[in-house]
Amino acid sequence: MNNTLLSFTIAILFGFGTFLILRRDIIKVIIGLGVLSHAVNMLIVSVGVFTGTKVPIILGSHGEHGASGASGTIFNDALADGVLAPVVAAGTHIDYVDPLVQALVLTAIVISLATTAFILILAYRIHEEYGTTDLRELRRLWG
Amino acid sequence: MISLMDHIPILLIAIPILMAAIMIFLRSIPALQKALNVLVTFCMLVLSVILLEQVWTNGIIVYEVGEWGKYGIVLVADLLSAGMVLLTLFVSFLSLVYSLEYIEERSLNSSYHSLFNLLMAGLTGSFLTGDIFNLFVFFEILLLSSCALVVANEKGGVTKSSDKMEATFKYLVLSMLGSIVMLIAIASLYATVGTVNMADISVKVSAMGAAGTLPWHIYPIALLFIVVFGNKAALFPLHYWLPDVHPTAPSPISAMLSGVLIKVGVYGMLRVFFLMFTVTLPMFQKIIIPLSLATIIIGAISAVGQTDVKRLLAYSSVGQIGYIFLGLGMGSVYTVAASLVYLVNHAFAKSMLFLTSGGIIHHAHTRDMDKMGGMIKSSPLMGTMFLIGAMSIAGFPPMGGFIGKFLLFDAGINEGFYIPIAIALLFAVLTMFYMFRAWMKMFWGETRDTKKYGEYSSHALSPLLTMPIIILALGVIVFGVYAEPLIALAQATAAQIIDPQPYIDAVLTRVVR
Repeated sequence: MNNTLLSFTIAILFGFGTFLILRRDIIKVIIGLGVLSHAVNMLIVSVGVFTGTKVPIILGSHGEHGASGASGTIFNDALADGVLAPVVAAGTHIDYVDPLVQALVLTAIVISLATTAFILILAYRIHEEYGTTDLRELRRLWG
Repeated sequence: MISLMDHIPILLIAIPILMAAIMIFLRSIPALQKALNVLVTFCMLVLSVILLEQVWTNGIIVYEVGEWGKYGIVLVADLLSAGMVLLTLFVSFLSLVYSLEYIEERSLNSSYHSLFNLLMAGLTGSFLTGDIFNLFVFFEILLLSSCALVVANEKGGVTKSSDKMEATFKYLVLSMLGSIVMLIAIASLYATVGTVNMADISVKVSAMGAAGTLPWHIYPIALLFIVVFGNKAALFPLHYWLPDVHPTAPSPISAMLSGVLIKVGVYGMLRVFFLMFTVTLPMFQKIIIPLSLATIIIGAISAVGQTDVKRLLAYSSVGQIGYIFLGLGMGSVYTVAASLVYLVNHAFAKSMLFLTSGGIIHHAHTRDMDKMGGMIKSSPLMGTMFLIGAMSIAGFPPMGGFIGKFLLFDAGINEGFYIPIAIALLFAVLTMFYMFRAWMKMFWGETRDTKKYGEYSSHALSPLLTMPIIILALGVIVFGVYAEPLIALAQATAAQIIDPQPYIDAVLTRVVR
């Protein structure tokens, strides 16, 4: 139920963003890009919800040089059993949220902040140069 | 000193980011700013030569940032990465020297140097990283810095500010959509295989392919990646932003964009399809060959009708990127090697032509070729240089472009792709036509109507403008006359691309072959 609701929310946001970036007003296009990037952020976060034994976290302490079992670091990567994500040992059942996607989404949010700031300034300068925010007026260059 | 040599991959990314910060603080002392930036960029060029030499002799270098193994960020320098970094820094260095004289003082002293450093960091980072999400981050760095550089003003101001705004808006919106698509692809990929490390993805996708449990949505993800990198590289249905953005940028930035930045898309395709999704290669070939042919055709036909010299060069870039993708699409060691040779030659010739077009604009105060003519008398140097570049792009024997085209067509015929090669050859003739038509319009014939358009500038070009062009021209000729080292390097690189096992071993188990 929860997942369905989440999927619908993401889908509606995608649709809404796509509708907005097809508008003719620059500001609406920019808002559309913002909505789209938030839809993508939600998509990334929703990727990290796991139940059962497929929990992509690392057991043990931070090792010296990555994937060496001798140093106490355990990267359980049971490719032979058809399990693709790094998993905790079998038998333990926990609901867990992947910490990596949260780091990814944080990066994505910061990047979309920077690009949105830049594109807003650009829109302001376009308004200064052309005296309009209508994209149909911006046709001095022909692809 | 030994320890410094071990850290070259991270230094090549960290130094420009650090310099970007330092340059902001030094903006009240322009002379120091210029000298320091040129010096540091030259040091980075030297470092990248050392890196390529190390990779050539010792095999693939893997650098763990934060020592988290394949779960953290790894920087991987194989022959392709190291070679692309060297190419990037070479073109960057020359463009930087050129822009010292070419860019208007106010733009140059305030933020130009910082942004240029960030652009270099984005380029070297995206070539060196071994992590698909990190690739996205570096894409954004180079996108934002290149957007800000496109709107920098050149001296004389032949390009209107409003044109720059319009072109940048187009570029930025399309690239943001491209990044959104890339994030969707990465998220779906992560949900499927549980890792963002390229080598690890490769192992898992091949294991699933071998076991027959490959989920169908790997194919849509691969298609999304074609959209992302096709947008970066201006592949056919996504090419229309390029002829607006590249001509409106100031000439040294056009040289960077056309010479190096669109090759990031080619690099991404190589990594995604030849390393990560080897199972989808048959699908990739069926899509990429028609698209690359369409790119060649559109680029060549559109370039014929142009009267603006930089627009002509931009459309020519669209056409030439099609040839590079054609080599990738045919997908054997020989064809990939041929398209790498083509890539290097195009980077040299096209960045040289864009720098030359800056000199021509300086001389004639216009970008319109109809308002030029007979300039061979007043500006023989620019005429010679443009001719060398035009001959290389058109594929004439003593220049590097000939070697690239020859290898590509030979490789294609060896592989039995007769019809694509025939189409490519036909439009190579058209390339010859439009390049020489442009040269003749600008440099032969009568001098322009001086009453109507004014005199040509009698002001001689400074050596800061001419030296980078001459160095690149020498490169073009050397690659044409003595091409064996480049071809050998390209062959070794292509062998490494086609067989990704050494790359995977180097990243995952630290076995360096």
